[in-house]
Amino acid sequence: MLDVRNLRVEYRTAGAPYVAVHDESFAVRAGEFFTLLGPSGCGKTTTLRSVAGLETPTAGRIEIDGVPVFDGATGRAVPTHAREIAMVFQSYAIWPHMTVFENVAFPLRVKRLPGAALRRQVDEVLQMVGLGDFAERPATMLSGGQQQRVALARAIVKDAKVLLLDEPLSNLDAKLREQMRRELRRLQKHVGTTSIYVTHDQDEALSLSDRIAVMRGGRIVELGRPLDLYLRPRHTFTARFVGQAELAPCKVVQAGADAVLVETKLGRFRARVNADIGARANHLMVRPEHVVFADADADADDGTGENMLEGQIANILFSGKLVEYEVQTGQGVVSVCAASNVLRTLGEAVRLHLPPEHCVLLTDGEGGGSLGDIPGGDAAPAGPGNRRTA
Amino acid sequence: MSASTDTARTRLALVLGRWMPFAMLGLMLTWLVVVPLVILLVGSFSVTGLPVDFFTRGFTLDNYIQTYSDPFFWRMAWTTTVFAVCSALGSLTLGIILAWLVERTDLPARGLVRVLIILPLATPPVLLAIGWIMLLSPRTGFFNQLLQSGLGLSAAPFNIYSLTGMIFVDMLALVPSTFLILSPAFRNMDPNLEEAAMTSGARFHTMIWRVVLPLLLPAILAAGGFLLIVGFLVFDIPGAIGMPVGIFVLSTRVVYLATDAPTGMAEYGLIASMAIFFLVVLLLIAFGYQRATRRAARFVTVTGKGFRIRPFALKRWRWVAFGFVALYFTLVTIAPMGILIWASLMPWFAQPSWDMLQHVTLANHLDFFNNRRAVRAAQNSITISVISATAVAVISIIISWVVVRSNAVGRRVLDALAFLPIAIPGVMIGVALIFVYLTFDLLPIYGTIWIIVIAYVTNYISFGTRASNGVMVQLHSDLEEAAMTSGARWGRLMRSIIIPLTLPALVAVWIWVLAICMRELTSALLLQGRGNTTVPVLLWGYWTGGQPNRAAAVGVWLVVAMLFVIGLWQFMAQRSRLSGVRE
Ligand SMILES: Nc1ncnc2c1ncn2[C@@H]1O[C@H](COP(=O)(O)OP(=O)(O)OP(=O)(O)O)[C@@H](O)[C@H]1O
Ligand SMILES: [Mg+2]
Repeated sequence: MLDVRNLRVEYRTAGAPYVAVHDESFAVRAGEFFTLLGPSGCGKTTTLRSVAGLETPTAGRIEIDGVPVFDGATGRAVPTHAREIAMVFQSYAIWPHMTVFENVAFPLRVKRLPGAALRRQVDEVLQMVGLGDFAERPATMLSGGQQQRVALARAIVKDAKVLLLDEPLSNLDAKLREQMRRELRRLQKHVGTTSIYVTHDQDEALSLSDRIAVMRGGRIVELGRPLDLYLRPRHTFTARFVGQAELAPCKVVQAGADAVLVETKLGRFRARVNADIGARANHLMVRPEHVVFADADADADDGTGENMLEGQIANILFSGKLVEYEVQTGQGVVSVCAASNVLRTLGEAVRLHLPPEHCVLLTDGEGGGSLGDIPGGDAAPAGPGNRRTA
Repeated sequence: MSASTDTARTRLALVLGRWMPFAMLGLMLTWLVVVPLVILLVGSFSVTGLPVDFFTRGFTLDNYIQTYSDPFFWRMAWTTTVFAVCSALGSLTLGIILAWLVERTDLPARGLVRVLIILPLATPPVLLAIGWIMLLSPRTGFFNQLLQSGLGLSAAPFNIYSLTGMIFVDMLALVPSTFLILSPAFRNMDPNLEEAAMTSGARFHTMIWRVVLPLLLPAILAAGGFLLIVGFLVFDIPGAIGMPVGIFVLSTRVVYLATDAPTGMAEYGLIASMAIFFLVVLLLIAFGYQRATRRAARFVTVTGKGFRIRPFALKRWRWVAFGFVALYFTLVTIAPMGILIWASLMPWFAQPSWDMLQHVTLANHLDFFNNRRAVRAAQNSITISVISATAVAVISIIISWVVVRSNAVGRRVLDALAFLPIAIPGVMIGVALIFVYLTFDLLPIYGTIWIIVIAYVTNYISFGTRASNGVMVQLHSDLEEAAMTSGARWGRLMRSIIIPLTLPALVAVWIWVLAICMRELTSALLLQGRGNTTVPVLLWGYWTGGQPNRAAAVGVWLVVAMLFVIGLWQFMAQRSRLSGVRE
């Protein structure tokens, strides 16, 4: 549906041109919810605006539904209004001189849709976003969440091939954000439009997306399904940026086909995830909630004494659903997340098990596997990926 | 017992504290603004037009009957309206285009263009009019002669001495102010609002018509109101261009009746009754203007969070747009100033030519620096401007503090009183002050510089308070409170927070008032006496007295002084923007 090839965007600045996006390529399938995730300033908005035609890239090629809308080689650039896109802006960009109805009707008026059909479609979309009763309100008299919905309705009503969303939830408070997130997902499923979503909030990205492209410094670092990026990231940056991660630099001691033995400052560990990285692995990662208290889960200890750590609970952070323990081992601190059904006390001596099927091998930045459309499609790691820790 | 008297005393102090600011400022504003208007009103009902006679000789409607039954008056009112509306529309159009080009597009050399647009503020309107008369007068105008000989025409193609000529010059003169009013609105509009129109499928012109212009409408209306007011009250341009050929607008008629009336006596009765008409029209416009600015404020509050402005790519239109700016600058500065400089170097009035080059002389310039009257005029101008600007700045900041920050009684009334003079033209203030100080001789300031100072303070206090209100509102009380919670005492607070934050903006106000006082002609002309001639009045005297070359020389030096002051003003305004306080 959307195909971006070798996109490069430079900004003219006082000195040398600033490269906001380097050689970026990705393809989004029809109906997919695709997210660009990355820290502030990594070029997400720039990429999105290039797709919308609000920014003119320096080089590359963009195709929407098979129609080339930008081609750096030929200099072809379809103007924004003629592209099959709709966009939701971070600042909502609700026109303050129009009512809610007029805001949403605008794309249809531009298309010169006859009055009755226009009214019907606008009403339908307003109903869909839960603003049925607000049609005649001046747009200035809306709360943040309502403005958000108007912006969304205005984008949906255009019925474009690709929906572009630039951090649409970032101006809302936490509760509302949660609620709007669900609603957004529901709407997107319902309407079925191909969507590109920009955010720097990893929770949002994980819960909404079909696929995520993790960006850093104008480049896509890794691209994959939320599940894969969380459970099987291949790059230290992804591991750190998506979710909480316990990371340790490591040296490979012995590389096998489906398991690699590494040496870290915490000791020697066997890791099964991303074993194909083999000798190039330089970090070991485990998610805090995948670490197991060995005493509580008898079968965690496979009797080999492998991947075990001993320590004392040095700090407890209680957040309701989960409890985070900082465990002081002889060689350093390890964070462990556990459900709150069994509570431990400060100073308690514990044994930790880091299951090999949750120990992830990582490489630093570049040099990793090529960024195809579906990475992580290589041999799925052996062993159950859903063992519960208690 | 003593405790209760204590509380009674503190309560009294509190009440006094709440009333005092109003009482004192109210009294002052009443003296400056209300008294002249009332005297004027009273005068309009008196036989001779002088208020004294109202009390001794009684009430009459004769002035009104004579004024309003005269078809000439109504023709003049119509001329005034056409003049004001057309020049407002013209400069609004130019101002919108220029503001958009500078603030929202990738126009080349935008910094320079901004300077070029604001620079003409240095040219007093009367000088602009004189310059254009020298260029487009039907008999001797330089452009006319060039075109006539170049194209072999039998008659001059342009005649500046016409309503169209007046509108043309006034329109040019008002563009810089229009630009200054509009450009913040263009700058502060969230570009996402435009982009949202584009991603909704709107083409460029749909976006402009349906989104950009409606969004800017409040600002445009506000600018339009301001321009209309100025159009109705401006004297300089219709005075220089229209008066010699008998095309009168209200303001020129008033000055004419006051200084040149056929009977030889100032027709105060007619003037007063005419002035009341003026006042009503202007108050109506001012009312609309204030409503429009309030609406403008409401729209602005809805812009989203921080945005970057991505300049609109003009592509191949870039140089066309730049050419447009260059043409504007030629019309408003290069051409008229060029001919003025030429004229100032000529011993007698002659058009630019190679032959005349040998006659170039500095005599007119030297005269300006040696002639006692001229030196005196320069001194007067400087004294008057500095005193007025200082008074306006000080009074404005006090009024604003009371209006915006305190809970004093009658804040709204003070605000309205301070705003009122915006609708009172220089001509009227001049006339009203004549009335006041001819009526009461307790302050013998008639014919001195002080009467002009009072006129200026009255006239510009509305501008001053608008500006300082803005600064006070911007200066969130959070800032004060943050300083206090950091342990700062009041003195410290003033020294480290309030003054540094407001000073640049206030200095900008001060300089701006200084600049407009230096170029003001109308009130000074009406109030001129033996010892209070200002530079513009001197210039006017030379011009109407048939000494265009000396007038040109005076004009050139006036512009030099103005350029200096305006440069200073822009510098300060820039600094105040940097410190986060918008003008
Ligand atoms: N007009 C511009 N001129 C110069 N540099 C720019 C311009 N626009 C963006 N940049 C730079 O390009 C980089 C990418 O900007 P972009 O807006 O795409 O970031 P982002 O990933 O959307 O960040 P955020 O999450 O903060 O919105 C930033 O470093 C930014 O400073
Ligand atoms: Mg962004």
